[in-house]
Amino acid sequence: MARIELEQVSKSWGDVVAVEPTDLVIEDGEFVAVLGPSGCGKSTTLFMLAGIYAPSGGSLRFDGQVVNEVEARDRNVGIVFQSYALYPHMTVHDNILFPLRLSKMPRSEAMAKVERFAALVHVDELLDRRPAQLSGGQQQRVALARALVKEPKLLLLDEPLSNLDATLRLTMRTEIKSLQRRMGITSILVTHDQMEATTIADRIICMSKGRIEQIGSPDDLYLRPNSLFVASFIGAPPINLVEGEAENGALYVSETRLPFLNGGAMGQVTLGIRPENISFAEDGLAGTVAAVEPMGRETLYILRTPIGHFSVLQTSSTKRYEVDASVNLQFAAEDTLLFDRASQKRLDGVQVHLP
Amino acid sequence: MPEATALRSPSTPDWNALAERARTRRRMTQAVLYAILIVTSLPVVLPYFWMVTISFSATSGSTDTFVLWRSIAILVPTIFVIAGLQQGVADPRRRRRLRWAVIAVAFVALLAFVAPHLHVHNYRYLWNPDIVEDMRGRTGAGGGQFPWVWTAFGNSLLLAGAQTLIVVTVSTLAGYYISRFSFAGREGFLKSLLVLHAFPAMTLIIPIFLILHWTGLLDTLTGVVLVICTLELPFSVFIMKGFFDTVPWEVEMSAMTDGASRRQAFFKVVLPQVRVGLIAVGIFAFIKGWEEYVFVATMLFEKANWVMSLYLFWVADDIMGVDYGIVAAVGVFYVIPSLVLYLTTQKYLTQMTLGGIKG
Repeated sequence: MARIELEQVSKSWGDVVAVEPTDLVIEDGEFVAVLGPSGCGKSTTLFMLAGIYAPSGGSLRFDGQVVNEVEARDRNVGIVFQSYALYPHMTVHDNILFPLRLSKMPRSEAMAKVERFAALVHVDELLDRRPAQLSGGQQQRVALARALVKEPKLLLLDEPLSNLDATLRLTMRTEIKSLQRRMGITSILVTHDQMEATTIADRIICMSKGRIEQIGSPDDLYLRPNSLFVASFIGAPPINLVEGEAENGALYVSETRLPFLNGGAMGQVTLGIRPENISFAEDGLAGTVAAVEPMGRETLYILRTPIGHFSVLQTSSTKRYEVDASVNLQFAAEDTLLFDRASQKRLDGVQVHLP
Repeated sequence: MPEATALRSPSTPDWNALAERARTRRRMTQAVLYAILIVTSLPVVLPYFWMVTISFSATSGSTDTFVLWRSIAILVPTIFVIAGLQQGVADPRRRRRLRWAVIAVAFVALLAFVAPHLHVHNYRYLWNPDIVEDMRGRTGAGGGQFPWVWTAFGNSLLLAGAQTLIVVTVSTLAGYYISRFSFAGREGFLKSLLVLHAFPAMTLIIPIFLILHWTGLLDTLTGVVLVICTLELPFSVFIMKGFFDTVPWEVEMSAMTDGASRRQAFFKVVLPQVRVGLIAVGIFAFIKGWEEYVFVATMLFEKANWVMSLYLFWVADDIMGVDYGIVAAVGVFYVIPSLVLYLTTQKYLTQMTLGGIKG
């Protein structure tokens, strides 16, 4: 188990910067998710932690010890890849045994451990099979057992659930989380799937273009996003964003005037409202229904209004509107998020409301 | 599209007639296919067949072909009857039984009409160290001109074996490096590998001869091995690079985080996954060394250095009044190792064409 510290850690290849100087502390036993679109530097960060890439600058510490120069094999890190990366020419048993064989563990002890960890991830029936004879979920379990069997200081999960089907993903998600709790291993999950990140992790690190955009609990990221990027990346269906000009104590979007409730701003401002925070009402912003997408528990409406298109999420039990129906929209001031377009930052404490 | 209109027309189409037509068409296609296959495989099979029959039947040293004609007279009708059974008999069990019956008849016929004329006299070079002496008597000219065939066989094995070892080792290491590491000029290097392969090696024969002469490697097996390896390597490196490209980088990373050094990861994890490539490159290198003629003919003079191809050449050329029986017998002996190698490993070779070559 380890406390992981990154101090100004960066990685670049020639002129291409993959990760800008980054500071980060991950506490012992914590489960952290690194969330971001592909190419944001999250996997590079992971490989630096694993020791596969050497950082270009800064220092990387495990329990206070600088490990920049320590080779991957000496770091005692377990890693699970999206592609599982099992050794195709070995049986499941030998796959799990491989790390122990390299660490020269006595044979009887190693065998016992393989059995124990195989049972832990429920692959003890499959020990004689080859990876090609396993389903995706089973391969993922084997990969997990192989990563855990040497009881690593740090467990790295690189998009481990992306290749699984939806149901299996849910099960594996729960299992990974409970395993991590039980073993108390500091773990880092890299993913582009916000659901995965928010459900599994204690803390989420949101990255974009090689920089950390925000670190916080799932609620922090969803309710109080620091920047336009975080606001638009997190949430499905995505947040509604409307660009306007702020002047004279109000935000003007086209001809519509939205007065500031708290504080105020000037210049180019973007308004963000989550689809579930908009409701249909007797009066308010007028619009017409452009599309209806039933999603089971909820129904997603796409609405055309004078200030742009809005997606609105309603529980399906409420009245169903048809396409081309005229509706009125309402939203509460406390659900509005305002961003300065120049700096992309959220304007803290500023809200607007419908007149 | 007559079928399409038939399906769309309001009256019910005559399904039975349509099915009958499909059946006839299928049978026709198959018959034509068999005919084409038989005709095209004849020129491939016939020379080998001829070589084997001559080697076991020639008596006078001249070209007597009656055993060949007799066996063809028995085998060709057999093949056609079997092909006919395939088309004519619908029940698979009955077809199989009839097929075995035809084969049995053909076998008996061969035993009766061909077997009495077969003998192994043409293979006496295998146990007689001096074939020329044996043929012309101790006093005859040219006694002791030939090495024993096993000397040539041993030399060929040595040449092909050594070159296989070198080509496999070097192309594996080079292929891995090119596949995994980026370095200045990597693209150009890859392209030049292909150009080198396309280059006709024969044009180099005089420079190579001179180089070997100056380095003192002329008339040594070592020299020839080095030359053939050099010519063989570009393509082998390219093939191995393709195989290494198919091994995901993650698997190697996984091994390294599991506690393996890069070298251990290479030997324990990567190498087993390119086994097919190693086998394929090895076989090609071996066959190349085994069948090599031009370079050995140019660079080797001493009879103690003869390889099988030279032995075959001199048997055909030098035994006055060519003895076709012996030439054919040596040919059969020469072809056996390559044949065995191909037969035992062809499943790997076919895998290679599927997954191996990727730029």
